[in-house]
This record gives sequence, structure tokens and C-alpha cells, in this order.
Amino acid sequence: MKKTDVDLSLLAPLFQRHRDDSWGLIPLLQEIQEAFGYVPPETIEPIAEAMGLFPSEVEGVITFYAGFSLEPKGKYVIRVCRGTACHVRGGRTILRFIKKELGLEEGRTDDDYRFTLETVACLGACFLAPAMMVNRTYYGRLAPGKIRSILAEYGGRGLDKEA
Amino acid sequence: MEEVRLNIDGQTVLCTPGTTIWNAARAKGIRIPNLCHHPDLKPAGACRICLVEDEKSGRILASCVTPAASGMVIRTDSPVVLRHRANIVRLIMANHPESCIVCDQGNRCRLRAVASELGIGRIDLDPMMRTFPLEEANPFIVRDLSKCILCGRCIRADRELVVVGAIDYHFRGFQAQPATFGRRPLEDSTCTFCGTCVALCPTGALRTKTPGYAGSPESWSEAVCGFCAVGCSLSLGTSAGRIVDVEPSKRPGTVNGATLCVRGHFEHDYLNTPDRLVEPALRSGGSQVQGSWEDVVSFVVQGLRLLRDKHGPQSLAFWGSTRCSLEENYLFQKLARTLLGLNNVGSGEQGGVVESRLGKIAARTISEIERAEAILVVGANPTDSSPVLGYAVKRVVRQRGASLVVLDPMRIDLVSFSSAWLSVAPREDGVILDALAAGLLEHGARPADGVEGWEAYAERLSCMDREAACRQSGVDPSSLKCAVDTLAGKRIAFVVGRGILTQPHAAAAMRALENLALLTDSLEGEARGFFFLSGENNAEGALDMGASPGFLPGRLRVQDAESRRYWERIWGVRISPDPGLNRKRALEEMEKGNLKALFVMGENPLRELPRPERTRSALEKLDLLVVQDILQTETSRMAHAVLPGAAFSEKEGSFTNLEGRIQGFEAAVSPPGRAMADWRILAAIYDGLAPSPGKYESIEDVRREIRDHVPGYKAMETRPGGKGTPQYRCEPDSREGREKPVFREAGPLPDGLGDSGEYPFLAVLGSVRSHVGNGTRTSRSGRLGEFRETGDLEMNPEDCRRMDVHPGEAVRVVSRHGAVERDVRPSRRVRPGFIFVPKGAKGNRAVDLVDLLKNGNTPSACRVRIEKAGNGRRP
Repeated sequence: MKKTDVDLSLLAPLFQRHRDDSWGLIPLLQEIQEAFGYVPPETIEPIAEAMGLFPSEVEGVITFYAGFSLEPKGKYVIRVCRGTACHVRGGRTILRFIKKELGLEEGRTDDDYRFTLETVACLGACFLAPAMMVNRTYYGRLAPGKIRSILAEYGGRGLDKEA
Repeated sequence: MEEVRLNIDGQTVLCTPGTTIWNAARAKGIRIPNLCHHPDLKPAGACRICLVEDEKSGRILASCVTPAASGMVIRTDSPVVLRHRANIVRLIMANHPESCIVCDQGNRCRLRAVASELGIGRIDLDPMMRTFPLEEANPFIVRDLSKCILCGRCIRADRELVVVGAIDYHFRGFQAQPATFGRRPLEDSTCTFCGTCVALCPTGALRTKTPGYAGSPESWSEAVCGFCAVGCSLSLGTSAGRIVDVEPSKRPGTVNGATLCVRGHFEHDYLNTPDRLVEPALRSGGSQVQGSWEDVVSFVVQGLRLLRDKHGPQSLAFWGSTRCSLEENYLFQKLARTLLGLNNVGSGEQGGVVESRLGKIAARTISEIERAEAILVVGANPTDSSPVLGYAVKRVVRQRGASLVVLDPMRIDLVSFSSAWLSVAPREDGVILDALAAGLLEHGARPADGVEGWEAYAERLSCMDREAACRQSGVDPSSLKCAVDTLAGKRIAFVVGRGILTQPHAAAAMRALENLALLTDSLEGEARGFFFLSGENNAEGALDMGASPGFLPGRLRVQDAESRRYWERIWGVRISPDPGLNRKRALEEMEKGNLKALFVMGENPLRELPRPERTRSALEKLDLLVVQDILQTETSRMAHAVLPGAAFSEKEGSFTNLEGRIQGFEAAVSPPGRAMADWRILAAIYDGLAPSPGKYESIEDVRREIRDHVPGYKAMETRPGGKGTPQYRCEPDSREGREKPVFREAGPLPDGLGDSGEYPFLAVLGSVRSHVGNGTRTSRSGRLGEFRETGDLEMNPEDCRRMDVHPGEAVRVVSRHGAVERDVRPSRRVRPGFIFVPKGAKGNRAVDLVDLLKNGNTPSACRVRIEKAGNGRRP
């Protein structure tokens, strides 16, 4: 989702829902991420105030979990598996290929906020190795050609190049 | 509850359920090494050094977080445990830079200690260091995260002890690091530089910033902090006769535990300033010339004697200091009262407490705050003025759910911890306290049985118009309601500060407070009662020692014949029944030429008192001005005789803190040059004036006299590093009788500062965290310099817009009495229509805006107008 001005008025109803929960911070952060696509850094201080926490504490939780991001991410988040099974089946080459196709380094998002490229320690789909996920969809037994067509499905550059 | 029985290293250990294995072992004298554990912090199990083995199950457990269970057979040093422990230490060391040789933590490093305990020299692992840039832009703390072992002590101290929340772990795994919000440098974060993290850091990751490499101090001595009235225990580290490091004392049972504040931790470098007075001197013509101690003392003795004989005792005045020790204050007033026959003895400012009945109820210990149900902070800003007490307030609110109500014109730090903020206009406290009481009465608050004056009080409250009270005092009625709901049914601990104590009509406000305390049954008893944040380190003690125009030692009134007789019998002299002159009246007498001699010990009236030009011309009229001080000050430069004294770190003595705890201290270093312990100087003058010399050969001679005769000081313990004497404010019951609690008419509540077309703003003059009092000492701290608190005045952003004043622009603040020029900082701490002018720092002085009150105090608020200075800097 593209970085735009953050509408802080969206926060109030979310705070209302979690203010009195004893473990409300993580569900609140999840909802905020749902609403904005990421956790905008400018929301940290209001969150801390609402939850009776310190801003550094809230930021500590956000940076601890890989599931939270302080930066806006692309519409499609690609997670390439770096587990042992995928590694043995050529996962490293797969990652290199995807980087080249998207023109992105790990952890980066392209300029039009379409793709974000990430790696994960293991997707738990070893039988499909080498594997990756695009948002919530698994793709396995990857090979360069297959990757190109997957990316093309999402409107990636691979398609543009071939077209 | 059933006890847990287990076996640790072959010994049978009994403990209560929930006790950790580490603590159970400790109780039996079995020491398990650790890096992350600290008795004042919740166990975290971060470092894993404290591993032990349960032989029964074969499990390896982190003993600091594992509760002991019945039947466990624990080995703390089995081969398996030692192997694991050594491996963990090796891994930490592989991650640690090898810069021990130049590390300021030096021999204090706990990692080094643990490694040597386990016999680890070479680690035989590839180094896998994480490097971080050194952070040393702030003047206090050097942060080198390359040396961080992620034990989390700093983070836990920050959150659990001082409740600031400036840092937390950010990221995880190899990236994990303690970091501020936004990973900004400390100086741009909410860090208060209390240095607690520095004191607790086991390695050199957090160190005190020093001008050069200092290494480990050669020796440590125990001291009591000389800044505020909390009386924190310090350890002073000295090398080559200089103090090179300050840490909170590690003794158990201190007031402050592992915490300190920015002043106590970092600002004692003023002791090494070149501005110290080091030679006794006499004025000769226009300049001061060094003289021998004999000459200067005999000059002072003869001068005092001559003027007394010629003009009578009322022509002399003695201004002592609440910064000086008990022994010194006792000698000081005794000298004046018995050898010269006058009561003109003071010791700085004496808030409204001493005159009020509240001054006679038992002082409470700070630890009781941590058990309070509800706290009402009135005209005080504890997190700035007495930070260690402020920590206790924050802890009880955050960690134990106590209720907090703040009554203060400023949105002080504690407001964000409070349930309600009563933003009262200065000097309107009385009326809002009554309104609060009326609300509580409606909620069913009733005093203990048999308190006199109850019906009249209840009657008065029940016909009170609370809306009108809110309008008058500028308090939002919904905040008042919230405060009432918060406090209803609870016993209250009152934290009362200068905002109320130094008002012209402090007595009326104090009576309103007292009534409120009676109504809620909070006047006396466990975890309630009053905490007065009156000022400096020995404010309580100086009063107890009689360094006050109206009070003899033991807080016995000079006007009371019985009290006088008590001291007359001991001293063998007649004591004048006339109370002495307070500072305001003494200045007037100087101006009239009636007061001929002034002996100032440890004070700087030219900096402290309003209208310095007036003070200067009054002092110029004196025939004899004697100044005994540790620093060259505006006042010492005017003196006819200069007596260089010693700082608290250079002499023996004792202070009484705001709890009434008497704490002794010892000399860590010698006084500089020919300076001398103040009690010795006073003893020399005493000898000169007394018919038979040699009464006070050692400090023990003074202490014996205090113990034998000053009520409440019988058990005074002065052993440095001792526990101190938990002495609850000396109660004058014995002589003056204990007054029964009674509701009293608050009296005509004074008008506030009113409305004034000419002076539309209300200025609050207050202190900031890094300065204490008028800043004579703290402003000499090289570390502090002009850091952060440069004396900017704070103004509400709305007012800034309205007046078209930009951040950093200079404005003139003009009152009826004077003007100061400061840069503006927009701040939401002040409401529209208010400004805050900090007292310490900057060349011009906030006290120029006010005049001394009749009671000798300096008011902390006044009406002003703001003018554009014209030469403002624009960002």
C-alpha cells in the first residue's frame, strides 16, 4: 500500500476496542496494520498513550515481530523460503532469479508499491521445495519459467518484458 | 502456606513457595554467578549464567527465574553446569570487543569477573563482534552498544525503577539492542539521564562520560548526596585525591536503592571547579588578600565582638544554610545565640511548614509512598525537584495501581500518570482544596471519631459552590469531579511542594490541606500523611538544629518561656525571647543602617534573593560581611572576610532528609588548598568568642551535645555508611504538648494573583531537573554546561501564535518588580495565559521578577507581560 498521509482519526475506534484489554497491544497493532497496510511510525505515540505504555515499548514489540512492519509494503508480499530443504533444491538460485526479475533486494519494496521481497527461515512446505508465498498463496517446485509466469499473474515485470 | 523443601548442593533448604532457586540458594550462602540479575529488578533470565542442574530430572534450569519446588535436588556446580556456563560466557565473550585495557568499567566489569571465576582466559572461538557507533554526544553517558550483552538491566531499571520508559529492546536475535523510541540518540529521547542504567550495566556498554580516561577509582567512600532533601546514599570513587566517579551506594536499605538522578549522578563535578574558595582572605581596600587562618578568624571574632558591644546583639545577623550539616547548623546557631545573644539566625528559605501544625506531625518514609492507595501532589514537581521520590510515586501508580491526582498550574510529568489534573491558578489552591473536600464529603468521607470542629467544617463545605470555586481557580469542573471520584474512599498521601509552601498566605492553604487530610483520615498513619519537598538536603535538619529566627533546636519556639528555659539551663545563658529577623526584615534593617554585621554560611543571597541590586546595596552598608562558602560567589566577592569551607565530600557530618532520617557521611577527599571543614571554622570562631576555648576539639564533641540535648536526636547515628537513624521528625510533645487534631477555619482564603490588564500572563517560576535551588552549585557542573536546559521560557503554542512569537525568539518578560529576557520554547506543559520561567541557568535570573514576601520567602508565581525583544533569532 502506498505511503500517504496517515489518517490518525482511524485510530480512535480501534483504541476504544482494546484500551481495557490486558494484552491488547498485539491485536491492536494487527488491526492497525490491517487498516493502514503497515504500522505507521506516527501512530506509535498515540498507541502508547492509549494503552498506558511507553513509545519505546510499543516500538520494541513492533520490531520484534516479523509480522509487523513500520514501512508501507507492496500490494504483493513475496516470501522466499530459505529453509534447508529449499536450499538443497536450489533455493538460493531461485532467490537470485526473483531478485533479478523484480529488480529488488531482500526487504525492499518497488517504487510503485506493487511488490515487496522478503525471505523467511522456513515456510513449512518442504515437500514443495523450493517454495515461496505471494501474500497467502503458496507456490512450490519453483523454476525460473514458473516464477516468471507467477509474477506475470500479479502484473510483474516478467510479463511486461515478454509482452 | 506450606514451605518448599529442596536440596541445594547437599544442603536442605526451606523456602516459601514462589521463591526462586537463586534466592533460596542465596539465603543459604550459596552464590550462583549471574550477569542479568539484580535484587531490585524482576528476574528476567536473560544471561543464562545462573544455570543449575536438577539431579533428579537432569534438567538444566536458569535459577534466577525458576521457582524452587519440593523435592528438587539442585547442583549449582556440577561438571555439566560448569561446562554449559563456561560455554555461554565464551559465546558472550566472542561477541564482546577486546578493549578491556581502555574500558572505563575496568576492574568493575562483571563479565570479566564471571569469566575469571570460571577460569576462562582464551575463548578459542572466532570473534563475532557486533559493532555499533559510539554514542557520546550527550554530556553524561557514553553508550557503546558493541559491549552490550543484552542482559536487559538498563531496560528493566528504566521501566521498573525510574519509570521513564526511554528504552526497550528493539528487533530480535542478532539485531536485538536496547534502543530509544525511533532509535534516536539519548539526548533526543525522553531519557532523564538519571544514570541508573549506568550504575547497573555489568559491562562497559554504559559509562559515565569523563573528560579523560579515568579507569577504576582507587577507593570508594560512602556519602550522602548534597543536593535535594531525599538524601540519597552515594558511593564516591576517588583517584589521586579527586572524585572521579559517583554511583548509588550498594548498601542495602538506602533511600534510593539502585537509583539516583541526573544531579546526584553527574553534577558533582562542580566540586572540582576552579571557582572553589581555597584560601582564607580579608578585604583590604578594594580587593581581597589572602591571610592566615589565625588572622582571618581573629578578625571575624573581633569584628563581631566589637559591633555587638557597640550596637547590641540586634545589629548582627547569621544566615546559615540548609546545605550545611547538622553539626554545623547546631554550632552556628549556638554561637550566635549563646556567645553573641541574638536570635537573628536563619538557614535559607523556610516554607510554610514550620509555622503550620503539619510541621509537627510525624514525617513518613519515602518507601511508604509505595504502599499508598492514593496520592495528591500539590504545588510540587517531584520528578524534577526530588526525582527519587518522584520514581516512588510513578512506581506505585504504574505497578500497583494507586490513584494519583495532580494539583498544579503546570502540566508536570506526573500528569501523564494521573487520573486527574487540577490545573489551578497560582495561589488559588485553598479554594480548590476545599472544593475537593466538599466533593469527598458528598461521597461519604468522614473523619476519625471525635475531631473537633467537624460540624462547622461540614456545614461550611456543604454550602460551598463548587462551580464558583472552579471558576475562581481556573479548574475544569469535570477534572474536579474526576479527582473526587478517584480519591473517594481512599486514604491519601500528600506530596506538597514549594508551589504552596512559599505563598504569601501559605498558612491558609496549609489549613485547607490539613482539613482535607483530617476529613479523609489521612493525617497520620501508615502509607498516608505528608511529604514536604521543601528544598535542600538538610532543610529538615537545619530546622531541627534551631537555625531559624523563631525556633530553638528541637523546633522549640523562641517565644515559649518553657522552651527557652530548657536551652538556657543547658547552655547556661539567657536567651532573648524576641524572634530574630527573617531575611526580608534583615535586609530592611541593613538598609536603615541598624544591622551592622552579617555572617553568611553556605548561601549566596545575591543570587538567591529577588532584586539583587537592592540586596547588593544593603550588603554594601554593612560594617562587616563574613562569607563562609565553598565556591567563589557574587556574595563572597563582597565579603570583608572569606572563610573557605569544605564540601560534603571533604568533611565529616550528617544530614537529616525529608523523612527525618539522620545520615552520617565521611570525608572522601581532603578540602582543596587551605579550605577547612566548616564545623572546624565555626569551632575556631567559637573558641575566639568563648571565655574558655577548646570545647569542640572533634566533631564527636558537637554530636554528643546534639544527642544529649536536642529532642528527637538521642539515637542519632552518624556512622558513615550506617543505616542512618530512622528518626521521625523530632516531636515537640515533650515540651510543647501534642496538639489534638482539630478542623480549623481556613481563614480568609487569599485572593489569587487576580486579573490584570497590564500584566496579562501568569508566570510560574520553577526549577528544572538538572538544577537545584538557585543553581550556585549545579551551574558549575562542567558536564551540565548549557545542556538542554538553557533557561528557555515555556509558552503555550496558542499564545505563541497569538503573539506571533517564534520558537527560539527572545522575549522580555516584565513584571512589577523587574524583567528578564529569555528565548521562547512552545510547550504544552503550560496552559494558555501562563508561562514557565526556569530558575537555574541563563545569565538573567527569574527571581528578578518578584520581591521577597513578608515571611522572608521568594514567591514562585507572579503576573507579567510579554514584550518582543526585537533581536530574536528565527529558526
